[in-house]
Amino acid sequence: MVATILALLAAVEPLNDKKDLYPHWQELVVGAIAFAILFFFMSKWVLPRINALLEERRQKIQGELERAEQTRTEADGILADYRQQLAGAREESGRIIEEARTTAEQLRHDVQAKAEEEAQATVARAQDEIRAERDRVFQELRAQVAEIAVDLAGRVVGESLDASSHERLIDRYIDEVSSGGNGQG
Amino acid sequence: MAGADLVHGYAQAMLTVAEAEGALDAVEKELFAFSAAVEQNTALREALTDAALPVANKEAVIDELLGERSHPVTRNIARFIVGSGRAKELGAIVRELATVATERRRHVLAEVRTAVPLTQERRTRIAAALSAATGREVEVRDVVDPSVIGGVIAHVGDEVFDGSVSSRLDDAKQQLGS
Repeated sequence: MVATILALLAAVEPLNDKKDLYPHWQELVVGAIAFAILFFFMSKWVLPRINALLEERRQKIQGELERAEQTRTEADGILADYRQQLAGAREESGRIIEEARTTAEQLRHDVQAKAEEEAQATVARAQDEIRAERDRVFQELRAQVAEIAVDLAGRVVGESLDASSHERLIDRYIDEVSSGGNGQG
Repeated sequence: MAGADLVHGYAQAMLTVAEAEGALDAVEKELFAFSAAVEQNTALREALTDAALPVANKEAVIDELLGERSHPVTRNIARFIVGSGRAKELGAIVRELATVATERRRHVLAEVRTAVPLTQERRTRIAAALSAATGREVEVRDVVDPSVIGGVIAHVGDEVFDGSVSSRLDDAKQQLGS
C-alpha cells in the first residue's frame, strides 16, 4: 500500500509545474458568472422565502407566548377572584356563625329570664293565696269567736237584767226616740 | 214562703170580712196579739203548722188561746187561716192586715218588740215618742220577744227605731268579728 502511494507520488512529481497551481482564467470567469447567478437566485428567491418562513414562525411563537401569558394572567385573575370569594365566604360563614351564636345566647338568656320571672310570679301567687287563705281563716275564726263571746255575753246580760233594769232600758229608749234619735243612744 | 200576693190577698179578704162585721179595730188588735203569741211559742207554732194534726185539734187550740172574751170574727179568721194551711204565713198576713187597718184610720202601725211586757203607761209614752219622731200618728202593737234581751225595737213603716240589747250585741259581734 505504502509502496503504491509512494510509486504514485513518484509518478505525479514530475508533472507538478508551477503554472498548474493557478486556475485557468476561463474557469474563473465561468465560476464568477455561475456564482453571480446563484447569488442572484438565492437572494432573489430563496432567502426571502426563508426569511418569511422564519418571520412567520417567530410571530406564531410570539403569539402563542402572548396567548399563554394572557391565559396565565386570566388564570391568575380567576384564582385571585376565587381566593377573594373564598375569603368572603369564609368571612360570611364566620359572621353567620357568630350571629347564630349571639342569637342563641340571647334566646337562652331570654328563656332563662322568662322562666325565672314565671317562677317568681308563681311563688308570689302562691304566697298571696296562702296569705289570703290565712286571712280568711283568721277572719272566720275571729267571727266565730266573736259570735260565741257575744252569745255568752247576751245570755249573761239577759239573765242579769231584772225588772227595774228592763224599765230603765225602755225609759232610756223613750227618751232617746223623743229627742229625735233612732233609739240607739 | 208564700209570695207577697198571697199574703196581701188573705189580708185584704180578712180585712173586708172584719170591716163588714163592723169589728175591724178589735179583730185587728186581737189577731195581732194572737199572732205575736204564736210567733213566740214554738210548740204552738209547730202544732198549728203540723199538716198531720187534724184541723179540729188546731181549732180547739185557737179557741183556747183566744178565749171566750175574744170577738167571734177573730176566732173565725184565725181558724180560717190555720184551716187553709196558711199558719206559716199567719204573722205576715196579720201584719199586713194591721198595717192596712191602721192606714184606714190615717195612722201608722208601730210594731214594738220588748223583752218584757209593756205597761199601758210605757206603751202610751212609746207611742207618743214614735209619733213625735215620725211626725205621724202612731199606733203601737207590742210583741213580747225575749230575743230582744232588753230595750225596745220598733218598726214604723220602713223605719226602724232600734234600742235593743240584742242589736248592741250584734254590733259588738260585728266589731269583734271584722
